[in-house]
Amino acid sequence: MRGLLIASLLAVGTLSGVAAALVAHSGGRMPRVGNWHEIAWPFPRDGWPAGRAFRCDAAACGEAVELYVRPKIGFCNCDSGVADDDEVDRVADLDLISPRFAPVEAGKVVHVAEMAGRARSYDLKMTDGSTHAAVGFALSRRCDLLVAVAQGKGDAAGVQRVAAEFLGSDSMGRWMTVALNGG
Amino acid sequence: MVACQGRVFANRIRVLSLRATNERLVGAKDLGWETMKSRTLFVAYSAIVLVTCCGGAHAQQATPQQQVIGAPPEASNMKLVGSNDLQARSAYQPTIHHQGDRWIAYIGHHGGTDAVPDPVNPMTGKAEPNGTSIVDVTDPAHPKYLHHIPGQEGKYESGGAQMVRVCDGKSLPKGDAAAVYMLRAVGSQGHEIWNVADPANPVLVTRIGEGLKDTHKNFWECDTGIAYLVSGAPDWRTRRMAQVYDLSDPAHPVKIRDFGLVGQEPGSTGAVPTEMHGMISTGPQGNRIYFGYGTDKGGIMQIVDRDKLLNGPKEPTPDNLRFPEISRMPMSAFNGAHTTFPMKDMPIAEFAKDKDGKTRDIVMIVDEAILNECGEPRQMVWFADVTTETRPMMISSFTVPEAGGQFCERGGRFGSHSSNESMAPVYYKKMAFIAFFNAGVRALDIRDPYHPKEVGYFIPSITAATDKRCVPADGQDRCKVAIQTNNVETDERGYIYIVDRANTGLHILELTGAARRAAGLP
Repeated sequence: MRGLLIASLLAVGTLSGVAAALVAHSGGRMPRVGNWHEIAWPFPRDGWPAGRAFRCDAAACGEAVELYVRPKIGFCNCDSGVADDDEVDRVADLDLISPRFAPVEAGKVVHVAEMAGRARSYDLKMTDGSTHAAVGFALSRRCDLLVAVAQGKGDAAGVQRVAAEFLGSDSMGRWMTVALNGG
Repeated sequence: MVACQGRVFANRIRVLSLRATNERLVGAKDLGWETMKSRTLFVAYSAIVLVTCCGGAHAQQATPQQQVIGAPPEASNMKLVGSNDLQARSAYQPTIHHQGDRWIAYIGHHGGTDAVPDPVNPMTGKAEPNGTSIVDVTDPAHPKYLHHIPGQEGKYESGGAQMVRVCDGKSLPKGDAAAVYMLRAVGSQGHEIWNVADPANPVLVTRIGEGLKDTHKNFWECDTGIAYLVSGAPDWRTRRMAQVYDLSDPAHPVKIRDFGLVGQEPGSTGAVPTEMHGMISTGPQGNRIYFGYGTDKGGIMQIVDRDKLLNGPKEPTPDNLRFPEISRMPMSAFNGAHTTFPMKDMPIAEFAKDKDGKTRDIVMIVDEAILNECGEPRQMVWFADVTTETRPMMISSFTVPEAGGQFCERGGRFGSHSSNESMAPVYYKKMAFIAFFNAGVRALDIRDPYHPKEVGYFIPSITAATDKRCVPADGQDRCKVAIQTNNVETDERGYIYIVDRANTGLHILELTGAARRAAGLP
């Protein structure tokens, strides 16, 4: 009985430690990462749990850029991964920002945080009639997806460059791993 | 070894306890001799374990909700008649066909597993990628495996030949009267038609489509030959849409058109709607096709005018894709539409004295769970009243109570996947059977679709062939073994056929007790 009590206390302690780590990585505000700071997830609830949203202000990124990223567990072909650009169109959450988007070029293969996938640039028609540049990322790990979309008023190449750098940072890589593990 | 033995004993207790618990949900009046026997066994077994087992330490190591090899099936008002291991291949659609004086089961398979990509066919001695199993079930107590037609190389969803439909040549307008045709979907290789008049020696008739992104849950009208093939045409923006063919002469397929939701067609931009999962047609008489879109998210049930689909303008423009649509019912973002099973003109007892609306057109919609150990919103069964076709409305739902079997902790998927699709009078508009993964098959009394009621269930025992299912935990895979009842079909005799996604094979069942009475069976 005493052994059981000690084991239980140890388990609670361990869980607390894990929980604290998860809060640091996902639940609480992330420390500023380079030029990016976390903002509230701006979209209503849909089929996937909310992800994380970040902003890089114009002073640091040329034009203000926002990036939204989240895992989509079980949403990828376990063998073929992200197969083509059509898949990026479907899964990369562009429709959360605007249902009216058009690709500006063929996508390209990318590698982020030890995941392979594709990135593609788009023109987004916003509800106010303006056009934003956007880039969608779809990355796979086994049967799971990690998707991200970045948008801003600047040029597509600039949005893609700063978004790719941010996603490739160590902090984001660690978070993505935890998120794909269900954390 | 002793510890393992302790775990088995503990699990054995749990399995029998669960059986008793679940039976209580059905109600005491439904309990029969088998239940009495189970309870007696339970008490006896518990006594033996208490006397012989080695104390609490081993019991603490057990994970009591998990199934164990050797434990009996869990059942209420359903019983096992016969089984076949299907060569330990992961199973999808079973189709049961009355063929002369025989009953033949055609069963589609997913691809192989990481551990066994191409299981050995003991009849040929060769490793064969999963394809289609053909089993003689004339004597359901002794099903006889006749033949395996290999499918596409590839593991899990990336291989195999998942979907099967069968039509007699004599029922097709231009078919060979001596032939029996089996239509199957073969992954990205397209679709195939085989002559299975001699089911032990199938002969390939033709192939349809190639270079597709995917294929899936087809439907074939045996009286007209019109087939709705879930495909992924290379130029469409979705993995799954419909290619409509005239297969009235199976040897000479004629393409009619492509179909899907606006936004999926070639050249479109913007948001891409949820991919198609399958459809069921009511043929020229009913003139409706009920399409299901989505798997476990963003489902849509779409009602389509069959005549307009087949004879309307066919170029896949937005206007032409909208033309045959009567209405669509978006579902919650939390649920998809795997099966859309129509039941028109159902008399509703409660409405019998109403001056209007005594009968209702109902569509049963079944979502598909895809994540292990409850990693997503619950996927379940929905009933929609589509009597006023332009304003379909969800009226009821059904799910298996999780606490009835601690299904979120058993391992594998928990939630619905599919229903039987036979419209044979024996069960049509009376009973529905739902494949519920680790909760086995559930028998629903649907005579009042506003209040569907579970009247029976059967969860097969696992075997040495049952494959594990894993979830990430602490950076590693944590795996459990559980039944994963994937699909179910019935035949005109009233037998129920369930197949397992985790390689446990085919189980042939029949109703007993209150469920049998509810179906009106002797």
